[in-house]
Amino acid sequence: MSRTLPTRYAVSEAIIQLDDVCKTYQSPAGAIEGLRHVSLDVQPGEFACVQGHSGSGKSTLLLTIGGMQRPSSGRVSVANQDIYQLSRRKRSNYRASHVGFVFQLFHLLPYLNVRENVQLGSHESRMSRERAQELLVRFGLGERGRQRPTTLSAGERQRVALARALMGQPVVILADEPTGNLDRENTDEVLRALSEYCQQGGTVVLVTHGEEALPYTDRRIVIDKGTLHEVKS
Amino acid sequence: MLAKLIFRELWHRKISFLLAMLAVAAAVAVCVALIMTEEANQRETRKVMLKMGFNLRIIPKIANINQFYLNGYSAETMPEEFLDKIASVSKISYNHLLGTLERKIELQGADALLLGISDEKAPPGRKKPPMVSTIEPATVHVGFQIARRLGLAKGDSLEILGESFQVARCMPQLGTLDDIRLMVALVDAQQLLKEPGRINEIKAMDCLCLTPDQDPRAQLQAELEKALPDGQVVMLSRIAEARARQRQVSEKHAVLITTVVGIAAAIWVAVLAVANVRQRIAEIGLLRALGYDSNSVALLVLGRALLVGLLASVAGFAAGTWWAIHYGRLSFQVTGKAIAADPVLFYWSLALAPLLAVIACLIPTALAVVQDPADALRRE
Repeated sequence: MSRTLPTRYAVSEAIIQLDDVCKTYQSPAGAIEGLRHVSLDVQPGEFACVQGHSGSGKSTLLLTIGGMQRPSSGRVSVANQDIYQLSRRKRSNYRASHVGFVFQLFHLLPYLNVRENVQLGSHESRMSRERAQELLVRFGLGERGRQRPTTLSAGERQRVALARALMGQPVVILADEPTGNLDRENTDEVLRALSEYCQQGGTVVLVTHGEEALPYTDRRIVIDKGTLHEVKS
Repeated sequence: MLAKLIFRELWHRKISFLLAMLAVAAAVAVCVALIMTEEANQRETRKVMLKMGFNLRIIPKIANINQFYLNGYSAETMPEEFLDKIASVSKISYNHLLGTLERKIELQGADALLLGISDEKAPPGRKKPPMVSTIEPATVHVGFQIARRLGLAKGDSLEILGESFQVARCMPQLGTLDDIRLMVALVDAQQLLKEPGRINEIKAMDCLCLTPDQDPRAQLQAELEKALPDGQVVMLSRIAEARARQRQVSEKHAVLITTVVGIAAAIWVAVLAVANVRQRIAEIGLLRALGYDSNSVALLVLGRALLVGLLASVAGFAAGTWWAIHYGRLSFQVTGKAIAADPVLFYWSLALAPLLAVIACLIPTALAVVQDPADALRRE
């Protein structure tokens, strides 16, 4: 899998920039602060791990970076674009071209076969079949393209989800507890793949409550009650 | 890819798809069957026994009206060409024009009415299915009392004024003068009565869609004055009124049923679509995460509805047509055979059923579009 870093980014320029971002939810019990004055820079090629327990705001952080959750205040910039200044349509385009998501529950569509699920990750119909097959081979699923996701193990499904995330050649992969349902072997395989992606110029922000990802990551951040704390390794 | 998502999802969730399709197909079937049988119903009420069907009787102007009422027919005759003359006038409120020649005769020791009937004619551009069947030459339709008295059955031979006729039909008892009528082709009656090229009446129906409190007589007489100055029109008001009322009640009934069925189908489809959207919340969230915008999400829901509507229109049309033909022929003894598939009705089904399904799914579509994808993904 070859990939080049977009040349428009200077090496020192952060590809993800969060500036004093806050997110408040309204609930029957009152206002809940999902993110509190979060500022974060992630460099191109970095593999950042955001650790936090359940309810700490890590998924909120990820979805905010992914352009799926407008913050209550602050600025979110990815690849030099203030993504919440974009129209909804342009933000959709941004996600399609710049972001790959990997979720804990895989979210594969049961009525598409494995290859078609991977193809969903790209809006370019040209060459998408070949690229999807290429990615499946890369993840050891070359023979499973015509099968339905229900016939796959948890590890295999997550690899399909990872292939889908890589399908559009995004600049950033946002992974929300991608190894939460996997055994050790599959966990290592998924993390290894993400690490390789970073080595080829991509950027990964992975949120988790465990420590399995730490050996693969360049950077460890802890989130607690919506506030980030950098942990020096 | 969107088309693939629509088709695959439909097939994956077959039960929901079939239930939605069933609802729309049922609505289409009911509407199609109603329209087809309504037309048959209208035709059936204008049967071969003419007096009940036609509400206008055009007789020669010189006919003695008292004698006309006493005898039941005009003693005076007029040229058969008068029928063509009226039928050639395009702006006239008459239709289903039928030329007749009627006289009292003696048949095997008892009085009977011999009635010769022409083919039905219509003004230009207004041809409709005929109200009465064509009577073949050398055949006769026999009134109930005559058939009973002479022990006649279909296929028997009957001699009328020295000529032999085959009994094509024995009519059911109607309790009117039709029970003692013998109906033959006009040309046969003209020959038997030695009145070549003559008729003594033109039966017709008015096409005025007036309310029962309006009097069409003056308008019809004025039109007749222009088209046929030598004729006068007698209107069977009670029949006309009954027909107008029946048509209005029938139409209101059909509109009511169609509306209720259509609304019920739309509600059911909407409920199923909402359930479908709820079932696909995470899927919609995923698609939004992958960069599919609101329009794409809307297309998924509406495209599904469109497909349901299209398939349902074909199935519903087929079912409704089959029902109308099958049960219509049982219900409408005389005119049931004229019930046939209507291509125009098919095109309307093809247009309106998908529209119904799409409109029913507008709210579910809105629900899908405004769904917060982050919330959907976080919920999982």
